[in-house]
Amino acid sequence: MTGRVCRGCGGTDIELDTARGDAVCTGCGSVLEDNIIVSEVQFVENSGGGSSAVGQFVSLDGAGKTPALGGGFHVNLGKESRAQTLQNGRRQIHHLGSQLQLNQHCLDTAFNFFKMAVSKHLTRGRRMAHVIAACLYLVCRTEGTPHMLLDLSDLLQVNVYVLGKTFLLLARELCINAPAIDPCLYIPRFAHLLEFGEKNHEVSMTALRLLQRMKRDWMHTGRRPSGLCGAALLVAARMHDFRRTVKEVISVVKVCESTLRKRLTEFEDTPTSQLTVDEFMKIDLEGECDPPSYTAGQRKLRMKQLEQVLSKKLEDVEGEISSYQDAIESELENSRPKAKGTLASLTRDGSVEDSASSLFGEEDPEDEELQAAASHLNKDFYRELLGAGVSSSSGEAGGPEGGSRPPALESLLGPLPTAASLGISDSIRECISSQSQEPKPDPNAAALCFPVAGARGDGELDLSGIDDLEIDRYILNEAEARVKAELWMRENAEYLREQREKEARIAKEKELGIYKEHKPKKSCKRREPIQASTAGEAIEKMLEQKKISSKINYSVLQDLNSKGGGSLRGGGAQPQERAGARKLSRRKTPAGRSGADPVSSVGKRLRPMVSAQPAKRAAVGETLLLSSPSLGAEPVRPTAVVESGPVSYPPEEDPDEEDPDEEDGEPCVSALQMMGSSDYGCDGEEDEGY
Amino acid sequence: TTPMDADSDVALDILITNVVCVFRTRCHLNLRKIALEGANVIYKRDVGKVLMKLRKPRITATIWSSGKIICTGATSEEEAKFGARRLARSLQKLGFQVIFTDFKVVNVLAVCNMPFEIRLPEFTKNNRPHASYEPELHPAVCYRIKSLRATLQIFSTGSITVTGPNVKAVATAVEQIYPFVFESR
Repeated sequence: MTGRVCRGCGGTDIELDTARGDAVCTGCGSVLEDNIIVSEVQFVENSGGGSSAVGQFVSLDGAGKTPALGGGFHVNLGKESRAQTLQNGRRQIHHLGSQLQLNQHCLDTAFNFFKMAVSKHLTRGRRMAHVIAACLYLVCRTEGTPHMLLDLSDLLQVNVYVLGKTFLLLARELCINAPAIDPCLYIPRFAHLLEFGEKNHEVSMTALRLLQRMKRDWMHTGRRPSGLCGAALLVAARMHDFRRTVKEVISVVKVCESTLRKRLTEFEDTPTSQLTVDEFMKIDLEGECDPPSYTAGQRKLRMKQLEQVLSKKLEDVEGEISSYQDAIESELENSRPKAKGTLASLTRDGSVEDSASSLFGEEDPEDEELQAAASHLNKDFYRELLGAGVSSSSGEAGGPEGGSRPPALESLLGPLPTAASLGISDSIRECISSQSQEPKPDPNAAALCFPVAGARGDGELDLSGIDDLEIDRYILNEAEARVKAELWMRENAEYLREQREKEARIAKEKELGIYKEHKPKKSCKRREPIQASTAGEAIEKMLEQKKISSKINYSVLQDLNSKGGGSLRGGGAQPQERAGARKLSRRKTPAGRSGADPVSSVGKRLRPMVSAQPAKRAAVGETLLLSSPSLGAEPVRPTAVVESGPVSYPPEEDPDEEDPDEEDGEPCVSALQMMGSSDYGCDGEEDEGY
Repeated sequence: TTPMDADSDVALDILITNVVCVFRTRCHLNLRKIALEGANVIYKRDVGKVLMKLRKPRITATIWSSGKIICTGATSEEEAKFGARRLARSLQKLGFQVIFTDFKVVNVLAVCNMPFEIRLPEFTKNNRPHASYEPELHPAVCYRIKSLRATLQIFSTGSITVTGPNVKAVATAVEQIYPFVFESR
């Protein structure tokens, strides 16, 4: 290779092995490139005499296993993760899609959607399952398959609205216009589930016609297509003499019983429902209906209007009644002897109510007389009223009472209309005031008059128009405050108790010294890849970054560069254990990283054995790294090396690898010797395999 | 061809149903004290806020201890400001050093009725990117106007619910949508 400089030592002596696809610096042993893609074709002779091409397969999805090591940790990690995400997504899509019986083309399209979503970072902050479901549903919509969002949510056991939200977002971000759902699409599917046997096709056709009729009648806008389908199928089934109960239909269609009934009622309201079966098949009514909610709204409006008309009539009636009452009173006045003068004056001045009460409150002889006169007059009165034809209010009031207590009728008639009139006038006044809030300052609305305060830039509170007195009422005094506090305590007793228990628990834990403070999770920062000139430096830096273990003898670390034999401290891990653990760490490919926990735990146990052989370490590192490609051929990453983990392992591996060297204070041993040594049992085999 | 006279015949009454606003008091508020001494407050200790309801402009305010207050339920922008000032005044009376700053109307909700029905699937087809209709989820079409930051919910009966950052945006949104809706009636 021309002019490549090693990043580790700066040497220019780079060895390029095209067979393995590596670029290695012969000075420090760091691998600069792995899995180089070369354009030359080389052939190698097999044992049988045949020749085969040299090379490795690189998968289409995975984008190769990283071109460059060392400097590109960030890139590598990102890419690898992306490939993993896509792979994972593909697997899930296939899994879900097969359950829905989607064909391969649909699944591929869904995967494409998923790729787009990932590239737009739409999977961040969302469950992967939701995004996958949304992609699949998008495909269903564009292809027009009879799959409902409900089906997907059934499969995933997720709230359908959550899925819907994700789906809408996806459709919007990817600028994909999903065509609107046509309930006709669902008919064959539901008909099949309802098992109509041979007449399946006929029933479906009838149901389709019904649906089209419903569309014309504005029943289908804004409604769940499945509900409409259910109603149409039910009617179609009945038309063809199939007994399908509502329960069966709703179990297939997945709507509520009340919804189905409502749709049926709405359909009943349309004129089409009046046709017989044969007529329906032949004729198609021309007229269209309004949507049911619209008619309901109209009905309400009409009711309101009726009420208004009635109230107006009431007013008229009231006018009549008052005129009659005036007539009665004047008559009474004239017929009364003068002794009742005071009373008469009272009746003359007072309102109808007063007169009624005064009528009641009279002394007995007068009462009787008056009662007789009143009853006589009342009867005529009553008849007249009934004759007038307004039976609504007076009839109700007069009817039950009229027979029993004639005087009461008058009093009732008195207050009733006036009360009604009062009520109406009040509401009218309110209406006026609310309508004319802004233009007309109404006496009622005076308090609500909003002086538009000029912007007070300094933040002072503009007090214009604020009624202090009223605000004062908002503040409780002491007694009230105490009562309120107690009420609140009683209501929130549960919560307070929980808080107290929690505090007690924390105090106890503190005493015992096992108090674990659950800090809110901080997002883990990506650590910078350690740039170090020697492996020793790398270890130091790594140890600084990572949590400091109590088992490491730091003085040893200080003498790393020197050959002084660092005494190994700490956990007396046995050689077998170590070797075994090492073997584990090497060979444990199926578990792969498996969260890196076993490795890290192994690492921690083995870390105490930090000895001082830089060259050995370097060589070890080299063997490690060299052997990795062999393992790297497997899909799961071996514990050693480079990519795929957020934590840079190579420095950590070095202490791992040193462990087997129990020999303290060993002089610098050549790589060859190391490889040949018995400790490197497994490694040796691997290396020899080359 | 029907002339699109959106101005002449239409006297659509847009009814503002809700105005949401926020303001700061620039001082720390002791929620416990407010809860004890206020006459119409609900103290939600688990979330850490106090709800205070006023009667005169009928508003509900959510008060946080940091001094941020969200005020909802007003029926016009001026009313919202008035209510907010009243609230600040009552807090002042309780003893806090309240300064009325950063008043901002955040959201306005209005309802409007068209005199005709609207065909939703057709409407969605004609207004593809902005309109989204999912009958399985919600009976209305959701139409978003990015420039105004307004969202309209269009129902098949002709009633439209508009939410936007201020009253003007809401009115403009209704004006903008009228011709589209008129097409698909």
